[in-house]
Amino acid sequence: METETKTKKSALNRIVYKILNEYLVVVGIILFAVFTMIMEPNFMTVSNMGNLMRQFGPLAFVSLGMTFIILAGYIDLSIAGMFSLVSAVSISQANQYGAGRAILVGLLIGLAAGLINSLLLLLFGVQNSAGALFITYGMSLIYGALALMYSNGATIHLKDGVSGLEALGKGAVGIVPISFILFLALLALLFFLQSKTYIGRSVSYTGGNPVASRLSGIPVKRVTLLIFSLCGLMTAVGAIVLFSRVTSSGPTEGTGYDTNSIMAVVIGGTSLKGGKGNVLRTVVGVAVVTLMSNCLNLLGVSSYMQDFTKGIIMILAIWLDNRSGMMGGAAVED
Amino acid sequence: MKTNMKDLNVKRIISEQKALSALIVIAIFMLILKPSFFSGFNILTILKSASVLMIIGFGEALVIISGGVDLSVGGIMCLSGVVIIRLMDTMPMPAALLLAVGSGALVGFINGFLSVHQKTEPFVITLGMGLALTGICLQLSGGRPIYASKASFGAFGNSSLLGVPTLIWCMLAVMAIMYYLIRYTQFGRSCYAIGGDYEIAVYSGINALKIQWSAYVISGILAALGGVLLSSRLNSGSATYGGPTALYVCCCVVLGGTSFSGGTGGMIRTAIGILLFSTLDNALPMFSAFSANVYLQQLIKGALVVIVVGIEYYSKKLKRERV
Amino acid sequence: MESVSRDIMLSIEDVSKSFPGVKALDSVSITINKGEVHGIVGENGAGKSTLMKILSGVYKKDAGTIVFDGQTIEKTTPSESLKLGLSIIYQEFSLINSLSVGENIYLGRYKEAGGLSGSRQKAEALLKSIGSHINPRSIVDDLSAAEKQMVEITKALSLNAKVIIMDEPSSSLATEELKNLFTIIRNLKEKGVTIIYISHKLDEIFELCDRVSVMRDGHVISTRPIAEVTRNDMIREMVGRPIENEYPPKPQCVGGKMLEIRHIRTRKLQDISFDLNSGEILGFVGLVGAGRTEIVRAIFGADKAMDLEMYLDGKKLVIHNPIDARNAGFGLIPEDRKTQGLVLPFSVEENIIMASLYKFAKMGFLKSGQQKKVARHFIDTLHIKTPSSKTKTSTLSGGNQQKCILGRWLELSPRVLIMDEPTRGIDVGAKYEIYTLMKQIVEQGSSIILISSEMPEVLNMSNRVLTICDGRITGEFDPALVTASEIMEKALD
Repeated sequence: METETKTKKSALNRIVYKILNEYLVVVGIILFAVFTMIMEPNFMTVSNMGNLMRQFGPLAFVSLGMTFIILAGYIDLSIAGMFSLVSAVSISQANQYGAGRAILVGLLIGLAAGLINSLLLLLFGVQNSAGALFITYGMSLIYGALALMYSNGATIHLKDGVSGLEALGKGAVGIVPISFILFLALLALLFFLQSKTYIGRSVSYTGGNPVASRLSGIPVKRVTLLIFSLCGLMTAVGAIVLFSRVTSSGPTEGTGYDTNSIMAVVIGGTSLKGGKGNVLRTVVGVAVVTLMSNCLNLLGVSSYMQDFTKGIIMILAIWLDNRSGMMGGAAVED
Repeated sequence: MKTNMKDLNVKRIISEQKALSALIVIAIFMLILKPSFFSGFNILTILKSASVLMIIGFGEALVIISGGVDLSVGGIMCLSGVVIIRLMDTMPMPAALLLAVGSGALVGFINGFLSVHQKTEPFVITLGMGLALTGICLQLSGGRPIYASKASFGAFGNSSLLGVPTLIWCMLAVMAIMYYLIRYTQFGRSCYAIGGDYEIAVYSGINALKIQWSAYVISGILAALGGVLLSSRLNSGSATYGGPTALYVCCCVVLGGTSFSGGTGGMIRTAIGILLFSTLDNALPMFSAFSANVYLQQLIKGALVVIVVGIEYYSKKLKRERV
Repeated sequence: MESVSRDIMLSIEDVSKSFPGVKALDSVSITINKGEVHGIVGENGAGKSTLMKILSGVYKKDAGTIVFDGQTIEKTTPSESLKLGLSIIYQEFSLINSLSVGENIYLGRYKEAGGLSGSRQKAEALLKSIGSHINPRSIVDDLSAAEKQMVEITKALSLNAKVIIMDEPSSSLATEELKNLFTIIRNLKEKGVTIIYISHKLDEIFELCDRVSVMRDGHVISTRPIAEVTRNDMIREMVGRPIENEYPPKPQCVGGKMLEIRHIRTRKLQDISFDLNSGEILGFVGLVGAGRTEIVRAIFGADKAMDLEMYLDGKKLVIHNPIDARNAGFGLIPEDRKTQGLVLPFSVEENIIMASLYKFAKMGFLKSGQQKKVARHFIDTLHIKTPSSKTKTSTLSGGNQQKCILGRWLELSPRVLIMDEPTRGIDVGAKYEIYTLMKQIVEQGSSIILISSEMPEVLNMSNRVLTICDGRITGEFDPALVTASEIMEKALD
């Protein structure tokens, strides 16, 4: 009898310990949210919840794309440039030709940019994240420059009454914004892709050990093409969702999305070394960042100090996560 | 069988000095097309504008060689610039300077603690730190450039000694110190060892913890120094340059020939890497195509990065394929 | 008593060390005499490397006494043990590739050596003293494995090492280089240096050592003068059971010509052509760097070749990459299982299904049930010792890791299985299991290309042997009809 209760107790202990260890960040953020709830009653309103879900938009999409890149052991710093470019061109297309063409053009640009990234990496035979880092950094400068040239350094505003985009940016089903629904749909799709398809699993293998993967017949080249194209595509989605909502696009709209998405992915628990992690974890990371911004806004913190707080929390999150030992289980939680 | 030293060294130099080659190519171009480029004044202008980044770059190179990375240098640069301008009102310049540079050392210390002692991935730690510092900086400056109250401050940054801008002398002094440090001291050679193979360095009795940590502190100090010099030159402190600087500097360091994974590289190479971009910044506007379209410069820079890094990896690929 | 203690260099008494879940050393006692070459043999997991790591300060012992040169050592660090006079040369070398030879030898001690230039001069002198002409300014990355070993030994000498531990020193050396090493060891012995020689190669132990200790499962089974030990004794004590033979009976199921390789040309290889018969084990013998791995990588599509023609069953094969090779029925077990073969942080299951994963996909979608079954099947049939199929392969022993890679390819029933140094660093028991598996593979009609640096292994397992030297095939032998030295001569050409 005694041993039974002992094992029950220790099992409970283990669960609590595990939660605290692996999900320290989440626990911390939930506590922070509770704190905000108490301090600022506006937090739990419908409109704030709606806001929260809306804010999930651009960064969330980009981070999903970035997850695959990091899983495969690479880094993509061209996101900032791609974002700006898609934003500038697509919003102009919307002004001239309407939502449909704008979306199509935007997605195509994102896809093409990502594809070009991967083709360059394959051409140069880049096999590690350092090379990818600098080449995509250079590409970011190029894409960003193209965006600047296209927009002439000016902010482009979206005309009123571009129907499709209005729905995308501001529409909702009940309190749930359409952009959030889109996010959930893409999340499901990408989760399925990552864990249940051959090419998706190949991404993790490639990140785990690219040499062994290649020698075992894993299509490493195809993986590279996939992840960068996907990232470009997701960046485009993020850009389109953003300007649909804020109805404007600045000349360097994409600034910060590269580093912020890397942060979100890493906070979520995917290791920069590759192989371990999945998109669900990234969602957690994005949620942390988004929730934090939302709470800080409500608490009246200036946007400068928000950056400061974000930076500190990110450091704390990763530091504490690292201390408790990050990834426990298999590469993909089936 | 005595290994043929001369052959190996020459081969290594050529294959590793892509930035230098690019620089030489540009120089030749300019010689032919725009000889005015080579006026003493212009050369000094290039060096002067590159000096601050070079100083920061030397610190960054040290960290990268010892196996880490410091993406907070932009934030430190901003912070120290704003700090010294704020402080010079309430205390004598030397004290303000000390505190400004000290703030950089403190940040470097924290970076080192988290990255080395706590073994957290430096890429993300310093990234977050840079973000946080830029935030503080914006807060302290209210989002706008703040101006120095003492004219002597701005005068210093724009003064000259023996016909050469003071900033360049500062840069040369730092370069000399860092060069000596990295090549002729136990500390410096140990940095290469730690970056080359961490465990072996530790087993050989090298205090890797202390050395890597120190590298971050030095990087912080040099970044702060750079920030002070920059705000001296501009006679103001602002947060504008914070964000992109770190990656820019890292890129230059790597372009110059220091491997991102550590264990190889040097100060002179870093200087060349930064010089490459600064030269472009100066040379390109001399052509009407570029002065008309400012953004084209960024395009060229991006293309240059892709090409230079690409060539390095391509040549490695060719070597691998051994055909 | 006095004279006895004067002769003892190192006394290890009742030393124990446990890790979570494993007792690595259980009351181990060995005495090492001054100036002897003391061999230590044992399977993987016997505790040899744990003991060495305790001596060199990487691990702390849980219990027991260690007396080094009259001084009791309670606990030490790697740098302290170096200063005391205990140097250890690991299998993978502990050198900084980007630094020069001189800087490596005096790593962390430049001041004492008189700065960087002083280090260089002293290094040169020490290198000469062991008969090496390596330039101290050379970058270590450019050196061969044998040269790197010279540097390691010189480093030990520069530390005035009284004891040098060598862990599998011959694993990356060719025969000539090995002879050179033995000469150096004997010279060191004359100078009064004590050597602890850890090796799986029992021949080397017999040739070199004065005494040998056998370890098994964390215990020292015996310590005896080499003259009082036979090979069989040693194996018996290592494994705990008498092994009748180290090798199963050679498979004799060679059929007709199956694979024709013609005119492989790469930077290293000059017109390699050979045939492979079905059911055959074809051995490749040659010095390290002769081109054996290059040949198989070219066949497997892992590296590009300037020229290469392949015919399987008379039909032309075009293989550009490992995916093509896999589809054509080839499999490759790479030379370095940790860096080239396994995804170490992934589980046993994930590693086993890696090559066959594409087969489980219908229209790109995977079903998980099948994967578990396949993994379980191979864990059972190959006797892979692992707590579960979800265990990370990084925790497995070398032999079990190799079996994971073997299972990976067996699932695809390859017609040609290439095994590059399949039993390197694996204990005798696991080796036997792998040899038996190889026999089963060829008895089912597949063929094996076996690359191995262990002559006995090649001779006992191959139906045919090709000697490769400087990128050419220099000889073809039936191992049953020739001696090892005849084969070796052709390999040295």
